[in-house]
Amino acid sequence: MSTVSLDVPAIELRGLVKDFSVGLRGVKLRAVDDLSLRVPAGQVFGLLGPNGSGKSTTIKIILGLLEPTAGGCRVFGVPSAQVEARVDVGYLPESPYFYRHLSGRELVRFYARMCGLAGAKLAPRVAEVIDWVGLTEAADRLVGTYSKGMLQRIGLAQALVHDPRLVILDEPTSGVDPVGAAAISELILQLKAQGKTVLITSHLLTQIEDICDRVAILDRGRLILEGAVCDLVGGAERQALIVEKLSPAELQELRGWLGLRGRTLEAVAAPRARLDQIFLERVGRGEAKNPEGGV
Amino acid sequence: MSGVPFSLMRVLLIARNTLLEASRQKLLSFLLVLALGLVGGAQSFREFNFGASELKFLADLGYGAMAFFGAALTIAATAQLFFSEIDHRTALTLLAKPVWRAEFMLGKYLGVVAVTAVFCALITGLLVAVLWSRESTLLRDIPDSFAQGRTLRIVDLGLAGYLQWLKLTVLAAFTLLVASFSRTQLFTVVTGFFVLVICHLQYLARDAYAQGGSTFAQVAAGLVGLMFPNFQLFNFADNVGAGIPVAWDRVARVSVYALGYVAAGCGLAIFSFRKREI
Repeated sequence: MSTVSLDVPAIELRGLVKDFSVGLRGVKLRAVDDLSLRVPAGQVFGLLGPNGSGKSTTIKIILGLLEPTAGGCRVFGVPSAQVEARVDVGYLPESPYFYRHLSGRELVRFYARMCGLAGAKLAPRVAEVIDWVGLTEAADRLVGTYSKGMLQRIGLAQALVHDPRLVILDEPTSGVDPVGAAAISELILQLKAQGKTVLITSHLLTQIEDICDRVAILDRGRLILEGAVCDLVGGAERQALIVEKLSPAELQELRGWLGLRGRTLEAVAAPRARLDQIFLERVGRGEAKNPEGGV
Repeated sequence: MSGVPFSLMRVLLIARNTLLEASRQKLLSFLLVLALGLVGGAQSFREFNFGASELKFLADLGYGAMAFFGAALTIAATAQLFFSEIDHRTALTLLAKPVWRAEFMLGKYLGVVAVTAVFCALITGLLVAVLWSRESTLLRDIPDSFAQGRTLRIVDLGLAGYLQWLKLTVLAAFTLLVASFSRTQLFTVVTGFFVLVICHLQYLARDAYAQGGSTFAQVAAGLVGLMFPNFQLFNFADNVGAGIPVAWDRVARVSVYALGYVAAGCGLAIFSFRKREI
């Protein structure tokens, strides 16, 4: 394990640039453009942006899978090009595809051994993470028979088996049903409670808003917005009161009451339940650990 | 310098996983069954008289099947098992762990080498059984032709199989080198077969180099002779079939020769794969 100080950010990008050569003439396509970012340790950080905005390229550079054209990237203070930078990192790729000829347990065991786990600690740790993602019953089935949600779960297990300090989740809810997405959110919050840093990309902005401490928004490879979620979505200066339906007279009376105090009633609307909340209530979060469904 | 040392354990884990994956592939199993079927059924061809002794014919057929199907298996397995990692993005997950790219490449290589070892061992074992059985029958039926006893030696049959396998390990290293920079599996397979043909005909380039000619032709022939190994050196089947003992010093020299080309092929493959964008 790395012995880097906790003051060191989990990820630090400085002036990162990545160009790809396209076609026979080698035309340059800039995927990441002068990106500078710090992901503090112990936070859940959302990396947002439309398709092709450079999120996955940035993640690959962080993991040392791509070499930046310019700029630098450090993971817990170690340059990402070094193998050592990946010792404390767990990674769940987008739409994960694993060795179909292995069972779930064999797969997690394989990755655990690749990360240096061995001896008496190996089997209990593998069983522990498999249980944590709710796949104990299906652990001895071949990965080739797993559903999409189960693949995401076994992917999480392999990412966490060596107890990394930084977990990178690339679109973990892609193709997963709302129950599964909610289960992943819960797992991420548990990781945060354990003091781990989580870098997540997702198109489910509601999920990001619920679980992330900070977010960065990329567009065409450039950073266009970055900050704490609570600062970005606002709300500190405003409040919403939900009451039983008022008659027009009562509403007028309320406006008058507020007016006397120098306040204004900005909006009156009927609050609607969110469809995902209704879905989760009806389907039940308790089923999130069903091996066949969700995540 | 990174604090994560190169690990032989990780290489062997990747190799084991590659071997396991190969064992589940239908094409590779089909090639093995086809080769085993050809060698096992070789006795049914003995009615044909090609002017050579029957045992030599059986040995030629067996080692020929091993060479042909073994080459096809080696090229297909190397390309398939490498590109399955790239195309299915399992390499992404694997290389996101503290794993050196050299470990990944060597693991894939050793996995393919293990596949070819199983293939050659099975074919050689079956060939030995077929030849031994037929020789026993001939000894009983026409003892006058075997006045000095058995002509075939199991050790020599095994050595010939070992040298065929050694040739395949060189072919696997060169195919892996092509795969390391190739973008498609098809290109790798086609180029792998070109390499196979060049290596079998390499002795012609050496002859041309020795006989002289224009400077350009000499340089080109010299380069081909140096860059590509001579696969004819690995062929001991003729001797074995004719009952001529295999010289151990020759086996040792060919082994060192093969090892040199394997090291060069794997080294270049690792160097080429070092910066590959996955």
